Amino acid sequence: MAKKIFMPGCSLPSYNPEAVKKTADYLKKVFPDMGAVQKCCGKPTAAIGQAELFKERFGLLQADFDKVGAEEVIVACQSCMGMIKKGAKRQKPVSLWSLLPKIGLPEELRGKAKHSDAVFTIHDSCSTRYEKELQDGIRWILNELGYKTREPKYTRENTRCCGFGGMVVPANPDVATRVIQRRVDEFETDHVVVYCAACRASMMGVGTKSWHILDLLWGPVVMKNDDAPVNVLASPVKAWMNRYKSKASLIKCMNI
Amino acid sequence: MENIIFSQKLYDAAQDVVDGCMGYEAPACQSACPMHTDVKQYVRLAGEGQYADALNVVREKIFLPQTLGRICAHPCEQVCRRNTEFNQPISVAGIKRFIAEQADDKANWDLTVGKDSGKKVAIVGAGPAGAQAAIELRRQGHAVTLFEKLDVYGGMMRVGIPEYRLPRDVIDFEYSYLDMLGVETRFGVEIGKDIPFNELCKQFDSVILAHGAHVGSIIPVEGHQSEGVFPAVEYLKEISKTQAFPKAGKRVMVIGGGDVAMDCARSSWRIGTEAVHQCSLETMETLPASQIEIEESLEEGVLFNAGWGPKRILSENGKVTGIELQKVLSIFDEQGNFAPKYSEECRTVAVDTVIFATGQVVADITDGALEQSRGGRYVVDPQTLATAIPGVYVAGDASGGAIVIQAMALGRKAALSTDRFLNDRELNDGRDFEQEYSYDSRLNVPLPENTENQPRLHGELRDADERKRDFKQVDFGFTPEQVTLEASRCLQCSCKLCMNECVMMNDFGDCPKQLFSDFIETKSMDPLLVYSCNACDQCTIACPKDFPMKEIFLGARVDFVKANGGNSPMPGHKGINMHQKLGFSRFFTMASKG
Repeated sequence: MAKKIFMPGCSLPSYNPEAVKKTADYLKKVFPDMGAVQKCCGKPTAAIGQAELFKERFGLLQADFDKVGAEEVIVACQSCMGMIKKGAKRQKPVSLWSLLPKIGLPEELRGKAKHSDAVFTIHDSCSTRYEKELQDGIRWILNELGYKTREPKYTRENTRCCGFGGMVVPANPDVATRVIQRRVDEFETDHVVVYCAACRASMMGVGTKSWHILDLLWGPVVMKNDDAPVNVLASPVKAWMNRYKSKASLIKCMNI
Repeated sequence: MENIIFSQKLYDAAQDVVDGCMGYEAPACQSACPMHTDVKQYVRLAGEGQYADALNVVREKIFLPQTLGRICAHPCEQVCRRNTEFNQPISVAGIKRFIAEQADDKANWDLTVGKDSGKKVAIVGAGPAGAQAAIELRRQGHAVTLFEKLDVYGGMMRVGIPEYRLPRDVIDFEYSYLDMLGVETRFGVEIGKDIPFNELCKQFDSVILAHGAHVGSIIPVEGHQSEGVFPAVEYLKEISKTQAFPKAGKRVMVIGGGDVAMDCARSSWRIGTEAVHQCSLETMETLPASQIEIEESLEEGVLFNAGWGPKRILSENGKVTGIELQKVLSIFDEQGNFAPKYSEECRTVAVDTVIFATGQVVADITDGALEQSRGGRYVVDPQTLATAIPGVYVAGDASGGAIVIQAMALGRKAALSTDRFLNDRELNDGRDFEQEYSYDSRLNVPLPENTENQPRLHGELRDADERKRDFKQVDFGFTPEQVTLEASRCLQCSCKLCMNECVMMNDFGDCPKQLFSDFIETKSMDPLLVYSCNACDQCTIACPKDFPMKEIFLGARVDFVKANGGNSPMPGHKGINMHQKLGFSRFFTMASKG
């Protein structure tokens, strides 16, 4: 079997280290031989046009992949998926969202939300708009958990951006706000489920209650009147602390 | 940021977009109109109740809004998306007529003329081609004299199109513009008779022949010389002048399937005929006449023999007593040449009058100075309408235009050539010939979402039995409510589909064609534009041609960074570097084989 490693990305560890820990623990149980890498894929560097610096930085990630003998990288971040698909020399990315349907969810989680009265609109990441298997996986997970879902008008391959892409937020925050506002305006339910922590931060930024799919997987069952988790990514100090926690829990998980 | 050196690859990609982007492509209605009237715009304004503004849009291109609103063969409607999709085109002409009736005011007519050039142009014929040429040349500052054989304005439009479709006061009102612009018109002067053509050439710096095709052609079938056989031109001209045609009998056969044939058939009722028949090689499905004319002819009781050709005209004592028709099997041979084939099946119709509405021929008024070809059309360069004689141009029916709006476009074309000739410029200098006539629209976009078929509206028509007995107008036109409703059906065809999707591009321009033309032209791009792209691909998905705008913006970023010492020019991006450094630092990263 190909050598697998888990790579949670950046925004997810910064947002929810607990979800990273639980995901890693579960994957490790299924794939005892699995390794892990927590490092940035360098997409922000590439996105702002620092082509040379990006090569250098992605090289560092490539070195880590090679060092741990990775062949398949289980990614929870769609940007990582794209960057690895395009740039990694010897590894191929496998999305966590298409992997989970194959290995199944922990038995105790199946159907846990079948009595929830919340209806979640699914927001697809635009960077993987053509990854049908990944999108199917998200729907499978939600269905397994028992949540009721709704597709927005622009969905799957036609999904609309959350405004975060292309490093627009720091360059032109006004545009980014209008982009996310237009996106949330088309949602017909109060609850949104995403599978990208940056998408979630964008939505929370305009007051739309959104949950990362791992919040739903590992967290408490969400009811209609529940508030969404705090937008941690809005406070850098907390976010970096989380990222450190995530790293620590990955090291721990790998050493068991 | 100045003097960024963008890579050639980027310019090439931008050029691809500029060459192919449909953002500014005229919709089919506008490109099919030889005068390129901005149909979409005036229909929209009419629908919003802005009649004066809508009329201004029409008048930017054409001086006969009400005339054309009544009689234009409207090629725009042929290609209207609602016609090609549902066979229910927008009533463009009807809307035009309405806004002109509502809002036309001489006080608003544009009387701007150019500085006097000292040059004199003679134009022969005051039909739509001659008039349009006169207008264009006055606007260039040239002195224009129109020579008109008749003693009224309008040419064949006046003597060929019946009054019930086009009231004569409408023509006179709209033609008064010529006088206001300073065009001198000499009525009742026939060039080639009262003044020889070569004399005209001597007296004027340039000459435009726009005298139309007024010679009726009669197909030499057996019996065509019998008493009671007339060409359509003669028939319509006399009816136009006198509302009568004493030489006609009570039972008329009109040969032909075009609008002129319909005019002859319908006029026949109005001069007191008891039975009106039609025959044509074309079948009902392929009649060249406009649908509305066919429908109104049917309502008035014209008996159609479409798909039946004239075999021979029967006569007694030299007078027409009937016509024998032959069923048509096909009109053209396999090579597309005109070669009608008939079956043995024949039918005879008892008539005492036969009208040939089978085309008109151009008379030579130049005494052989100009070469003529099929139908007497003068031989011209189709792009410039130049003849073999320098400074002599031909416009309208005399050079091959078939409908009023085409005649106008040819008049304008001849004027553009004349103006260049008078200024010693090359005839082709600075011209885009495509823009001087109809062309196929390059706009190719999907039907807007949720487009449903909605029926076309018609103005109120007088009852057929009543209207066929007089020359008063048949069509009362639209009500304001109908115009609002009819205009609302217009799909406002355009591309710019990416602009509906992309939030940010709208902050910087109109469409990719403009954004990237500017880039190529100025060799610069606003860094804020470049850094406002989410790289989400939504524009490319919406683009019928899948242009990758994202690649250009992201590519430009690399050049910006190069020119800026390795950093993004966006102040907000300062933090990214630290963020990235931390994201790769040992403190926040790990790698384990597990």
